[in-house]
Amino acid sequence: MKMKYFMTMMIAAVAVMLGVCSCGDDDDESEKALASKVVGSYAGEEILTVMGEDSNSAATYVFAKASDTTVDLNLPGTTGGSMQLPPMQVKNIVLTKEGDVINGKIASYTGTVVNADGAEKSYTVSDLVALFGKDIVVVTYTLKYGNMPFAFVGSFSGTKK
Amino acid sequence: MALSMLAASLSAQSTAFRDSVELDPVVVTGTHSPKALKDVPVVTRLITRHDIKIADATNIQDMLTHEIPGLEFGFAMTQETSLMMSGFGGNAVLFLVDGERMAGETVDNVDYNRMNLDNVGRIEIVKGASSALYGSNAVGGVVNIISRESTEPWTANANSRYSSFGHEWRNGASFSFNNEKWNSQTSFQHTAIDPITLPKAHSSEEIAMELLKKAQGLPYDESVLKDDSNISRLFGQKTYNVKERLTWRATDRLTLVGRGSYFFRSSERDTHDYHFNAYGAGLKGKYAWDHDRHLELSYAFDQYDKANFMPDGTRTHDHDYSNRQNVVHGLFSNAFGKNTFLVGADYMHDYLTTYQFIENANHAQDNIDGYAQFDWNISERLNVVGSVRYDYFSASERKALTQRLAVVYKFPWMTFRANYASGFRAPTLKEMYMHYDMGNMGYMLMGNPDLKPEKSNNFNVAIERINRIRNGGFLDGIYTFTLMGYCNIFDRRITTVGRYWVVDNSYADGGYLVPWKDPRIEEYAYGDDTKYLFHADDGRTYEALSSALYWNEDGIKVWGVDVSVGHALDCGLSIKFNYSWMHETGNVIFSQFSQPRSHSMTWRLGYGHRFTRHYALDAALSGRCLGKPQSGQKDVDQGYTIWKLMLQHHVWRGVNINTAIDNLFNYKPKAYYYCSPLTKGTSFSIGLSIDLDKI
Repeated sequence: MKMKYFMTMMIAAVAVMLGVCSCGDDDDESEKALASKVVGSYAGEEILTVMGEDSNSAATYVFAKASDTTVDLNLPGTTGGSMQLPPMQVKNIVLTKEGDVINGKIASYTGTVVNADGAEKSYTVSDLVALFGKDIVVVTYTLKYGNMPFAFVGSFSGTKK
Repeated sequence: MALSMLAASLSAQSTAFRDSVELDPVVVTGTHSPKALKDVPVVTRLITRHDIKIADATNIQDMLTHEIPGLEFGFAMTQETSLMMSGFGGNAVLFLVDGERMAGETVDNVDYNRMNLDNVGRIEIVKGASSALYGSNAVGGVVNIISRESTEPWTANANSRYSSFGHEWRNGASFSFNNEKWNSQTSFQHTAIDPITLPKAHSSEEIAMELLKKAQGLPYDESVLKDDSNISRLFGQKTYNVKERLTWRATDRLTLVGRGSYFFRSSERDTHDYHFNAYGAGLKGKYAWDHDRHLELSYAFDQYDKANFMPDGTRTHDHDYSNRQNVVHGLFSNAFGKNTFLVGADYMHDYLTTYQFIENANHAQDNIDGYAQFDWNISERLNVVGSVRYDYFSASERKALTQRLAVVYKFPWMTFRANYASGFRAPTLKEMYMHYDMGNMGYMLMGNPDLKPEKSNNFNVAIERINRIRNGGFLDGIYTFTLMGYCNIFDRRITTVGRYWVVDNSYADGGYLVPWKDPRIEEYAYGDDTKYLFHADDGRTYEALSSALYWNEDGIKVWGVDVSVGHALDCGLSIKFNYSWMHETGNVIFSQFSQPRSHSMTWRLGYGHRFTRHYALDAALSGRCLGKPQSGQKDVDQGYTIWKLMLQHHVWRGVNINTAIDNLFNYKPKAYYYCSPLTKGTSFSIGLSIDLDKI
């Protein structure tokens, strides 16, 4: 009886262990798949707010895979109007999953870019949050460009192309 | 007997803390010559050494904000400080240190960080125009910061103070010596403040989540998506400030004063650091033939530089700026009995090179002026002061004639003052020659060499009563009451107006301007943006960029009433209350940087007492209240009140511990606008000051 109880417990323990390992493998697979799930082009509306003034425009945000759990974002820039910004990139946005939503975050990213006049400008994108739903993304961030004295507050909502 | 002597001694020492209510302090700013505050015909607001000490202020903006109602410091876009004072912007208020101008500008005035208060004896403020004595910029008022002059054989002080707001450290040291022939004042101050992240009503995650719900067609909270804040993070900065002033009393008649100063500030921006350097030097000679006849000659040099550095220390050279001013000054005064005639002249060479000029070019101009003043003491009670000044500016070839007439009549029970003064502000080199593509984004800021000087005419009347109560009761002490009404008519305001910049490289400047509604401008859609084309008369088509041009616009009228009440009780208690009402009409500029407020107040309840031989306390509960903006605009700070509690413990000979709780009742702006008060809520500070000569 004791042997039977012992064997039962052993089998249960092994099953639980395998189960746990299996669950762990599933999670790892899920984590690895995060970047692949969100990469792509999203078309939608971008709002850049400067000094309380909103500027709305159609834009396409492109997310490219950097690693299994990180993506790079290509901000399209603006080409018309009184303010012109060249395309800029934000690298290594870290992805995590919360429920049905994949959450991308980066506290601060500084890069350089060459503008239309050929001048090299540095920029900092900070406090960026990207939330991915089913074929939908929303992005919020703050952009400091070159020596511009004021920051842009950017937001974007788009659907996957 | 011993007890009564001790009590008398303690009482005398307690009174010594209250030099803010000195009966007969002397001021110089209103008339360019020393006069008792109670006699001066121009209403002068005095901030004493005691006021400065008890305010726990690091710089001039802290100090003035707590003392002067209707005065607001805010941020411009660059997070450099901007000023609003009774309806005027910072460029209409002239800041002087010991009567001398400073070079450079940050946004609308000099770099306020240069004015450290470590060795300041007093600050004199004259509201309204004063160009008849001080020339350009004295349109809305003059703030004169006057250095302390020690009379002790030597003094030495070291001080340090920590504030929880931005983990700010302020460390200072000063040293002075004084003998029959020589007087030297040396001071050093270093400040460091960390970057400060301002609280947001909602986190980025919360905003993004509501945005996602909106995109998914789910119910969402619209209020979370609205964030009116213009500033989310304050840049950290460090400053170093060294000053030396050496006085040599060569003979009974001749005194020579030499001075030098160096200032450095680094501001840590997101993508780069701004570095600011300022160098000042001067030599002044004063010769007195006798008690009545004086001659003063001086030379002053001041330079203010700005440059950008990358985080790796590389200078970018794309934001180089340098302003140099060389000033030669002469002043002769001669007293005839009780009357004094004063005549003076200045020559200033102003040189500016900046990235905001085409190809970092430089421009210079000479300003020559002459002025005269007659101080006519008609009787013991009646004094009339008349001044006239002529200024000429070489670059704009503009001239300005300004006058002042000030009358004071002392009734037995009150003093009556009436004052007319004109003021002007000459266009700066930047306003005349700027040619700057803001942020390289195709938005041009353009100077205008044809600008005329801004002009103002200021009228004010005031009554004042200063009296001592000696009834042997609780209210025994000195009380003051001042009521002033004023009207300031300000014209030809220099501001920017919209224009189009036509890009045509056949012109030397790379193009030319056309008016905002020119029919030859064609708008067309470019994606979701708008672009502009200019159809020239010869049939050619050029790209046009929207731009802003400096321009003389219509002015404003500012009406106001200032009330000031103070009572210093012999028991050590004191109360000060200031109220200011003003109303602006005309071409008022309402923006997030400039929001005139009709009602404002400052107050201070103080208590000073020596409890034992080794312990004395100075306590002050102060506050300021700013009313709603006159514009009724909602996307700026509405009215707010901020309190501060300061305790200064004199624990041993020369050893003082200062503690302060700022924003006592934890006021937090709902959104951070450019003119929001700099606070995240309640903060505290603690400091130690040691007078080494008293130990």
